[in-house]
Amino acid sequence: MSAAQAQSAAGMQRTAHPVKKQGRGWGRMRERARRRRRLGFTRIGRTYVVLTVGVGFGALNTGNNLLYLLLGLLLSMIIVSGVLSERALRGITVRRLGTDAAFAQEPFAFRYAVTRTAAGTTFALHFSEEGELLTGSATAPYLRQGEEQIIRAQCTAPRRGPYRLTGVKVTTRYPLGLFSKSTILPLEDLLLVYPRRAFACGSPDESELGPVGEAGNPRHNDGSGDILGLRELGENEDARRVHWKKSATAGRLLRVEREREERRSFVLQVRPGLGADALERRCEEVGAQTQRLITLGHEVGLEADGKRLRPAAGTGQQKRILRALAQLGFGPGAAE
Amino acid sequence: MIAARRRRLTLLLRDLAAASAFGSMAISGQLPLWGMAIYGVALALALFDRRVLSGRGLLTALVLAGAGIALYTLVAAGSLDLVLAACTFAGFISAQRLLAPPTPQLDAQVHLTSLLMIAGGAALSADLLFALTLVAFCVTATFSLGFSVVEESLPEGADFPLRPLAGRLAVGALAALLGAAVFFFAFPRLSWNLVGRKVSPSWGAPTTGMSDRVSLGGDGSIKRNPRVVLRATLEPDPRVDALDGYWLGTAFDTFTGTEWVGNTQLGPPQQQIELARRPAKTVHQRIELLPSYGSRVLVALDTPTLLANATAHGTSYSSRVGLQEVKGQEVRFSEGAISYTYHAFSAAPDAPGGDPGHDPQRYLGLPPTLDARVKALAERVVGADREPLAAARKLQSFLQSDYGYTLELSPSDDPLADFLFVRKEGHCEHFATALAVMLRSLEIPARVAGGFFGGERVGKQYVVRAGDAHAWTQVLVPGRGFVTVDATPPAHRVAQADTVFAALVRLYETVEEWWRSAVVDYSFIDQARFARDLIRPPRSAPESQAGPRSLAPWMIAAAVALAAYAFWRFPRRQRTAAERTEATLLLEGLERLLARHQLRVGAGEGIEELSSRLEAQAHPLAPTVQRATRRYLEARFGTRPLSPGERQHWLDTVARAAQQVEKTYLPKSA
Repeated sequence: MSAAQAQSAAGMQRTAHPVKKQGRGWGRMRERARRRRRLGFTRIGRTYVVLTVGVGFGALNTGNNLLYLLLGLLLSMIIVSGVLSERALRGITVRRLGTDAAFAQEPFAFRYAVTRTAAGTTFALHFSEEGELLTGSATAPYLRQGEEQIIRAQCTAPRRGPYRLTGVKVTTRYPLGLFSKSTILPLEDLLLVYPRRAFACGSPDESELGPVGEAGNPRHNDGSGDILGLRELGENEDARRVHWKKSATAGRLLRVEREREERRSFVLQVRPGLGADALERRCEEVGAQTQRLITLGHEVGLEADGKRLRPAAGTGQQKRILRALAQLGFGPGAAE
Repeated sequence: MIAARRRRLTLLLRDLAAASAFGSMAISGQLPLWGMAIYGVALALALFDRRVLSGRGLLTALVLAGAGIALYTLVAAGSLDLVLAACTFAGFISAQRLLAPPTPQLDAQVHLTSLLMIAGGAALSADLLFALTLVAFCVTATFSLGFSVVEESLPEGADFPLRPLAGRLAVGALAALLGAAVFFFAFPRLSWNLVGRKVSPSWGAPTTGMSDRVSLGGDGSIKRNPRVVLRATLEPDPRVDALDGYWLGTAFDTFTGTEWVGNTQLGPPQQQIELARRPAKTVHQRIELLPSYGSRVLVALDTPTLLANATAHGTSYSSRVGLQEVKGQEVRFSEGAISYTYHAFSAAPDAPGGDPGHDPQRYLGLPPTLDARVKALAERVVGADREPLAAARKLQSFLQSDYGYTLELSPSDDPLADFLFVRKEGHCEHFATALAVMLRSLEIPARVAGGFFGGERVGKQYVVRAGDAHAWTQVLVPGRGFVTVDATPPAHRVAQADTVFAALVRLYETVEEWWRSAVVDYSFIDQARFARDLIRPPRSAPESQAGPRSLAPWMIAAAVALAAYAFWRFPRRQRTAAERTEATLLLEGLERLLARHQLRVGAGEGIEELSSRLEAQAHPLAPTVQRATRRYLEARFGTRPLSPGERQHWLDTVARAAQQVEKTYLPKSA
């Protein structure tokens, strides 16, 4: 998977419309079957149906006309509920806005832009991803015609890796809460889930460069970033950090302090041939080490799967490493 | 704050739905009073939002268990019906849920308990009020459930647009009610209505006034009572809207001076009683005496010959009941019940009568205190003629012409003399008594009969109201038996309902009559008849009846089809209307505007094609038209509806551009 593909996790802008015609023949039928309405009972709905059956049984056995009348009302309510919920699910358009970062087993905000093109206002809509892998849903209590709403789902992905999102499931319990009706709006996309954020139990490998003893590039011993301030030189501190002009003015030795005082360069490794669990643990560990080292201002690189990411600092590099870790073990196009 | 008010409204609707459901059981009048009182208190507290059982789950569960055990004990002891006990217990559960702190789960439980109570109401009552409670339950529960569903998806403290939601739910509730009616009439009936309780005790005291004596001192307030007390199906069907006949209940032969009394010697119970020899032509009557009748006396069209096949109805039973005759006076049911049905045969009005052998002396008795002026008046009116019927007709004419009718009477020691010589106005009992006593004073046997006059056609039945209670005179004519001669002015023989309340009650009774015949007693025979009429209208019906009767099923079917179509088309029409007001109106305006400037949309061409054509021709108006067209397409097919006033803005823009083009180019071309 290319980096461009992986970026789609955060920048999804495709729109799902209630498609009227797609494909031909068998493909069209399959598509229709996939987008068919799915009906489920709510708790009250299940009891309601049981009661309706009971009233029907009573009416048929006793011939009591008022029980027939009540049975008619109960069945009509079911039909009305079906018709109104059908109307509520029509003309819904969804656009995935995606998420900034999704870590495995950790809730993340996943945004949708939803619109209704059909007439009138619709109520109590819940949006979630098709399939069982990504849990969580966003809610639009009401949606007026032509109005776009940005809604946010609190989603959780069970494990790292690329997730192939096939469609957005729109569910409603409107109007009576007896049934839960849903439809799938086809919308293909890819979500990359980073390794679970965990504590880094092991220390990172030795840094390749930096002030380990007196080795390395002297420029790197001077820290990096802007100057934060001056302080008196301590015992055994490197005299090369002394700001001579200011020291001369002050009459004592002052050393420069920068944003990042000690910048080292690490290349973290994920050895090939690890088993599934070991690979997961290593990915989590490398992710956590990356987070820690980048926060400390070091440069971090990655060597995994026969590829190498050049060490660099900053959150951009952290994302690059996390993306690479997320795809580790999944071949191109092997998204779930 | 608004969200809290919305939640309060939802709870109020939920509680009202529960109240309607309990009301459906309570209208049967069979629930124990203490049970109704407990529910009433719980409902009042709930309506005032006092959830007093908050945090007392265990206690209330124990109380409920105790109530269940108590009810079971009452059932086991035989003092409470099992269905009633179950309904009462459902009411208790509902009351407990009403007073608990509301949660979405609890709301659902309240509605399901309400549903149980409605089903209990259907088993307990067949009253018209059940229909009202059912409608109220349907509407309030639909709104409450709908609001709950939206509230559950709202963030904390957020609000939702009430009007569109209420509109949709109202349409839904209406559609459900119509669907219920269609289902009710169309669903094939597979069994007889055997278990339903058709009878419930009458609300208020029975009002017929049928008793073993008629006192002249009483007022005539019963004439204003519009409650239906009797229903009858006649065969042959006279097919008239108002029946001109007397329903005989009791005949009195002894006048004490202030009242007519009968004897109390009851004969043995029998399954049928033959009162006279059955003539060749009879009228068969299937009569139902309703709970508001409140008497054991049977009535039948004058002159009854046979009374048989009586059934007594209680709240949970129907059984055969015997008949007992009080010789020469009346026939009674041997057992008390809430209502009765029986069959009666009466001599047809044009059938030759027969004298069953009445003793004339029995109908000549007069009180010793009778005012002497009565006889003198009778002799003066009748003259020398002593032929019974002729004399009676003369006195009838005299009384109808010289005396007035009133229901406002004051007590008197001698009510007959007061009527004849002082007030000269009274009600039917005064007229009947005066005629009978004056005939007796002339040695002509006569008696006073009590019962009802008239009957109003409702459907295929005739209903008789309490206000139709009447008294009249019967003259014993040798060879013919008793002949009815009614001295009461004809306009005052039927019910005198002259108040708005009475009119409302009359309307209610009429609707209830329809309810009973069309809903409660609906059967697969009616369905078959309906289907037959739909397919093949009856040919044998008279001309006057054939038209409406054959059209009725078609009209009903057409109305149902129209309602279903309207329900299906409603959202689509709404959508079309919404589109017209925005994008489509812009399109139409654009097309009109361009047509005014000789830029017409060609055959098979749309606004897009026109815009492209203008661009290809390098028309100076093309850029403006293109922008407007693009905006229309966005509004019509995209997700950017036109904002308020935007349509007019675009039309003005195009109009200005068109004027500019004309100013610039037309003078040159000219």
